[in-house]
Amino acid sequence: MTDDARPATAQRGHLWVPAVLLAIAAVLVFDPVPFSSPVPAATEVPAWATDTTPVRRPTLEPRYAAAGFEYRCSDCHAILPSPVETDRVLTQHTEIELKHGINTRCFNCHHRTNRDAFVDDLGHEIPWNQPQLLCAKCHGPVYRDWQHGAHGRTNGFWDTTRGEQSRRKCIECHDPHQPPFPPMRPAPPPRTLRMGHQGYEKSHGVTDPLQLHVVGGADGASEEEH
Amino acid sequence: MASGDGSQSNAAPELTRRGFLTKGAAAVAGVSAVAAALSPLRHLDPDDVPSIEKFLQAHYKEMITEDKERVLARIRKAVERRHGVTPNVSDPPPLDGVEFVYGLNISRCIGCRKCVHACVQENNQSRAPELQYIRVLEMEKGSIDLETAEHHYDSAQVPNPDKYYMPVQCHQCKEPPCVKVCPVEATWQEPDGITVIDYDWCIGCRYCEAACPYWARRFNFAKSEIPDGALNPDMAYLSNRPRDKGVMEKCTYCLQRTRTGRLPACLEVCPTGSRKFGNVLDPDSEIAYIIKHKRVYVLKEDVGTLPRFFYYFDERGSRYHEPIAPVEQGDAT
Amino acid sequence: MKTYCTFLWDCFRLSFVGDWRYHLWMTVLTTFALVGLYAYAQQLVHGLVTTGMTDQVSWGLYIANFTYLVGLAAAAAMLVIPVYIYRNMHLHDVVIFGELLAVAVILMCLLFVTVDLGRPDRFMHLFWRFNFPMSMLTWDVIALNGYLLLNLHICGYLIYCAYCGRKPSKAFYIPFVFIAIVWAISIHTVTAFLYVGLGGRPFWNSAIIAPRFLASAFAAGPAFIIITLQIVRRFSRHVVSDDALLTLRHIVQVAMIINMFLLACEVFTEFYTDSAHVASAHYLYLGLHGHNALVPWIWTAIAMNLIATGMLLLPASRSLGLLNAACVLSIVGIWIEKGMGLIVPAFVPTPLGELVEYVPTVHEVLVCLGIWAFGLLVYTIFVRVSVPVLAGEVTYAKRFGRPAGA
Repeated sequence: MTDDARPATAQRGHLWVPAVLLAIAAVLVFDPVPFSSPVPAATEVPAWATDTTPVRRPTLEPRYAAAGFEYRCSDCHAILPSPVETDRVLTQHTEIELKHGINTRCFNCHHRTNRDAFVDDLGHEIPWNQPQLLCAKCHGPVYRDWQHGAHGRTNGFWDTTRGEQSRRKCIECHDPHQPPFPPMRPAPPPRTLRMGHQGYEKSHGVTDPLQLHVVGGADGASEEEH
Repeated sequence: MASGDGSQSNAAPELTRRGFLTKGAAAVAGVSAVAAALSPLRHLDPDDVPSIEKFLQAHYKEMITEDKERVLARIRKAVERRHGVTPNVSDPPPLDGVEFVYGLNISRCIGCRKCVHACVQENNQSRAPELQYIRVLEMEKGSIDLETAEHHYDSAQVPNPDKYYMPVQCHQCKEPPCVKVCPVEATWQEPDGITVIDYDWCIGCRYCEAACPYWARRFNFAKSEIPDGALNPDMAYLSNRPRDKGVMEKCTYCLQRTRTGRLPACLEVCPTGSRKFGNVLDPDSEIAYIIKHKRVYVLKEDVGTLPRFFYYFDERGSRYHEPIAPVEQGDAT
Repeated sequence: MKTYCTFLWDCFRLSFVGDWRYHLWMTVLTTFALVGLYAYAQQLVHGLVTTGMTDQVSWGLYIANFTYLVGLAAAAAMLVIPVYIYRNMHLHDVVIFGELLAVAVILMCLLFVTVDLGRPDRFMHLFWRFNFPMSMLTWDVIALNGYLLLNLHICGYLIYCAYCGRKPSKAFYIPFVFIAIVWAISIHTVTAFLYVGLGGRPFWNSAIIAPRFLASAFAAGPAFIIITLQIVRRFSRHVVSDDALLTLRHIVQVAMIINMFLLACEVFTEFYTDSAHVASAHYLYLGLHGHNALVPWIWTAIAMNLIATGMLLLPASRSLGLLNAACVLSIVGIWIEKGMGLIVPAFVPTPLGELVEYVPTVHEVLVCLGIWAFGLLVYTIFVRVSVPVLAGEVTYAKRFGRPAGA
């Protein structure tokens, strides 16, 4: 056909091609499709989120602060006799709210006569700085795990030949009077690149394992929710 | 068929002045169009243009001591220039007779996400775009179906008594699919069980990211941004030194810490003591005790990766999250 | 050697010669290629953040196109097999267009992989430490480049012989033709294994992926060639018989039926079992927890493929109009299904159950269009050059008045 037959004239006729290319160059130089970054600003991470200090810092000494003074427990209890049982309303230490399951008696843990010590199953004293021995009276399996490091915080060095390792005792995490680990605010959730909207609740369609026979699966459950 | 003459002149067009001008114009226009198309490159960060030295840098395993020192010095200088901090860049070797294993007590984890942020701080991850090695999953009770996991919970308080929490990070598998698939051997498993990446060797194909069943690998889609003063100056070549854009990175069990005997950052910050770490070859270690005596499971055991990351739980498990109700009179007996 | 340089120079010059339609077509393609280059330059500056990919969906449009194009390249074998194994001579004169297509398409594949790399400047690391045979990606590097070389050799040799006015020596190309046939099947199998071998992605970890790859490739590829041959026939003097097109029609027909059958197998296994591994398929076909970006696409693809299969089964598709419509439907349908429909859902939900959807960005689409334009540009030049050379219109003898080597 004609394309090959008249190449010279054809070529002369195509000066518009470089013109188009130059036009493209002119457009491209001015950055016609600029890139706008989808990267969101960094999330503010509160300092506590990376703080390694334990949630509780008990002194592990039988000290009690009141009215701006600090006493040893025995300072008062040597002269003030305490009632035999504590079913009655406390007149002192009213700030202590004992919520420790079936363990409702002060003297289950505190020594009857020496208030600077805890008490073991035989009525003998447990030193104040060894609270784990006291907890072990009831929490045998946890104590066993703690002894081997499977429970509780270990910090510092895993290789004790190279540095110090610290082990937290029970009451350095748990309040003995209200032992469940305190709830806390979670650190900020992930906000990754181009993540899109991520609703907190996506649980529709999830089968409640306790209600399998009741609602018969996903649809029933989600309809009930709405 | 066209005439023979036609095709001959087709092959050898006459060289006229006009034709020469046309060709010249076409060539100039073509070159300028290509140049214009490449014009965005003028914004290229000089840091992103590899120097000859960096370009010719050998693979980590092929470096001799002098090479390594030179490379560490170069990294030191680059960090000083970019962050204004003099870092302590080292390359701690794996320890003899040590194999690192992680344990995580899902009975105790409360989902506070402190591990996530401690990890970011320790390992100099990018803050924008955000890049984190650990994901904490809020799980439905009665299920370990990951598809029901909530990644984005942001309640006023954790733990939610109706859920449990399962943090996931690199499992440092014994049979790592990510290592298997890497076309350039930029990632490998060290003798202490840690899978590492040579950030200066990775070509950024993201095949490892597709291969990982635990979603443990991260890619630097953009230049990483670490705010001034937030840089952790204690860094190692194979772990937390700043990464270039376009390469993969991942959890290394904080090898800059753990190979010098310390515990990883995510463990140090955990308020509940749910995280356990140590040398599994030492029979007296915490981790050896856990594997021997506790009930453990690994995530997705069916994919055959043999993780060095064990989830375990306590016999009294989920009661942990429940507040202890005050006991009525006489209940005790 | 001198003759060969003259040959290359003539080919180069020839590629600039044509009528206004040719120039317009080439200019349009060049424009797209330049815009793609511009978008890629931006990607080099800012990183892959210019694309829609994320840690959650770490492969997108680039790898999707790559996967589809590997299939297209493999389809050249579908022209060669009937000629050299079954001695079906209808296709003999058009085989070379299939092989040239393979060359152009493999170039596109390599470009798509390159633009997907985070650090293309470290490309040579492949030569220093090549994780062969462990990494399937290294197998793919060998398979694709080997296929490129094989086809370059076959086409180059045949065209060069025509230019020199020699009869091609069979020993120099027939063995390579047979190697290329096996190789064509291997490139697609290896590419499928790239995905199939990942135990953490249940959507891919299925033995049916590789056969489905081949079936869809052997449908889309010949369909593409049917259209191309008609364009070649329309705009050049090269004779392409209707019989050749109808032979290809048979191939597309059979491949489409197998492809749809395998699709049915796959869908049945996923949804009847209804295990936890169905999540990705659920996302693709029905949407998952309110995320359903791919649902309209995949149903469009399935509808197109079904209609194409139906049309191809009708005797009426022996008429070129209907055949072309069926071919376009299967090309587009398989492009959606083999590209986005195969790559993206494997990442949704993530292995940890997070749902992040993937939407390609403008820059990403521009780069893809640029690579397609570049591939078509290369293929157009190949056809533009090879037609007159093979027809014996441009030869060394005609240029210099004496035979080559004399």
